[in-house]
Amino acid sequence: MKETVIDAHNLSKIYDEKTIPVYALNKVHLHISRGEFTAIKGPSGSGKTTLLNMIGGLDIPSEGFVEINGTNITELKGNELIDFRLNNIGFVFQSYNLIPVLTAKENIEFIMLLQKRSKQETEQRVLELLKEIGLLDKINKRPRELSGGQQQRVAVARALAPKPQFILADEPTANLDSVSAENLLDMMLKLNQEENMTFVFSTHDQRVISRARRVITLEDGKIVADTAPTSIIHEQTAKI
Amino acid sequence: MLTKIASRNIWRSKKRSLIIIAAVSFGLWAGIFMTAFYNGVIEQRINTAISSELSHYQVHHPKFREDYEIKYYLPEGRKILERISKDSQTKAIAGRVIIKGMIASASGSGGITINGVMPVEEQNLTNLSKKIIKGNYFNPNKSNEIILSERLRKKLKLNLNKKAILTFQDSEGNLASGAFRITAIYKTVNSPYDDSNVFVKINDIDSLSGIPKEINEIAVLLKSSKTLEESQNSLKREFPKLEIQNWKEIAPELGYTVSVGDKMMFIFMGIILLALGFGIVNTMMMAVLERTREIGMLMALGMNKFKIFMMIVLETFFLIIAGCPFGILLALITIGITQRTGIDFSQYSDAYSSFGYSSVFYPSLSARQFVIMIVLVLLTAFVSALFPARRALQLNPAESLKK
Repeated sequence: MKETVIDAHNLSKIYDEKTIPVYALNKVHLHISRGEFTAIKGPSGSGKTTLLNMIGGLDIPSEGFVEINGTNITELKGNELIDFRLNNIGFVFQSYNLIPVLTAKENIEFIMLLQKRSKQETEQRVLELLKEIGLLDKINKRPRELSGGQQQRVAVARALAPKPQFILADEPTANLDSVSAENLLDMMLKLNQEENMTFVFSTHDQRVISRARRVITLEDGKIVADTAPTSIIHEQTAKI
Repeated sequence: MLTKIASRNIWRSKKRSLIIIAAVSFGLWAGIFMTAFYNGVIEQRINTAISSELSHYQVHHPKFREDYEIKYYLPEGRKILERISKDSQTKAIAGRVIIKGMIASASGSGGITINGVMPVEEQNLTNLSKKIIKGNYFNPNKSNEIILSERLRKKLKLNLNKKAILTFQDSEGNLASGAFRITAIYKTVNSPYDDSNVFVKINDIDSLSGIPKEINEIAVLLKSSKTLEESQNSLKREFPKLEIQNWKEIAPELGYTVSVGDKMMFIFMGIILLALGFGIVNTMMMAVLERTREIGMLMALGMNKFKIFMMIVLETFFLIIAGCPFGILLALITIGITQRTGIDFSQYSDAYSSFGYSSVFYPSLSARQFVIMIVLVLLTAFVSALFPARRALQLNPAESLKK
């Protein structure tokens, strides 16, 4: 049996609870095991980002809770939660969100330095990752000197650097051209296969969906499907 | 890493950073220079008062200063004078006969203080001859000479070699008067002093006042102001029956000037620092608001609140530190130049003179004040950084990432 990394129980996020309640998430149950390459899809406003934020401990659920490797992160507060994120979760954002004043290398080593890892270990890991993402020649370039695809690759390397439990990627290909998006997905898939790294995406992008081994469909804050991509493609074809 | 991010963040908005650096430089320059200027004004007044009017301390009969009655002279005053003159800390000393009286000419009269002085000792003590603008200092071979001020000369329509009549009560309470020939006209920066002080030789007045060979005031100038308290206390122990007062006790308004000066410095610096503080808060608040998404991302990635707080504080600090050297350098240059040239307010000399001030000021700044100023600026930077840093801490990472 595969080890469960993410366990979301009865997760709800309700806005305007006192007036007209709006459910951004409605009683969502979700289990993700180590090594999964999972895409969460759904139309805008379906609750993809909210779900990702809950799993990543960036937002507090109105109901339910999230366990990461057995730790109920919903109960963690303030710096405790920040430290948990630091040591367990990697984030990749839609608009890269690199630190503009740091170079590619410094952006990648940033989290490891926050974790107080040794200089030697950090240096070694950063070089290894830069090689992996094919940006060794851009080591001292700042984000504005890199293309969108290159920036997103640095962002993935940054998320991977401290070897987190899993990586949450919020529409990572949304701002990329098709070649960059394909390259990025290839790279993430390779990391998933070689390092058994767990990836959870929120996405609209069919390229991501087609490569995911598991696709969760959200609608109006509820999981309406949790299937393999081929069956989704079949479903869509059948609808047409 | 925090230091690296904070220092590099300064130059993300060059124009804004340069404005705040300029504001810090200007604020520091204005604060340091105005303090130095104010110091110069106060020091000049005090130095003038000590060197020309009051000396460091004076010795009197305990009842003399109540009503300035001649009968309250110093018993064995000349022996005391001799004793104090032997003190290693004494730079100059002179005995005087001080009499409150009247001066009269054919054109008018007025109340004055008659200073019966020892010509040589007085010259050493107050440098009276340097203040003479017309005529000559006392001639030892002539008697009944008087030195009066230019203002009195004009008021009484007198001139050199003319005679003025001094009238006063002698030690017995009888009216005494004498005619004195004007040998010199003096002028100081203190017009109230000029209006009310004339100088005659002690030997010409002591007999007339009924206290021959006696003195009712000893004025002492020390080699260093630092030994004032020690010298005064030692003398008080030696002559417990005499009134020994330092310049602050004789002229409390001058002592107040010093303490008011210190307070003024803090008020002035407070205003400058407040303006500076608001500028910093505004700039850093804008920086935080502009970087809401980035700060949210840092929090999401695992940068804890203390580090976020420190990043903002450090950034503010670097901005201030970048501005400090320019401000300090500018202030030191300005003070250096004006210390040599002075700042001339001659067009307002009458107004300054009526308060006892010269119209040319020489700024001066102590190392202590200089350090206080810099510490205050750094403290302002720290306090100003607290508001934007607090604002940054209140950000919610999920909300911030949507911006």
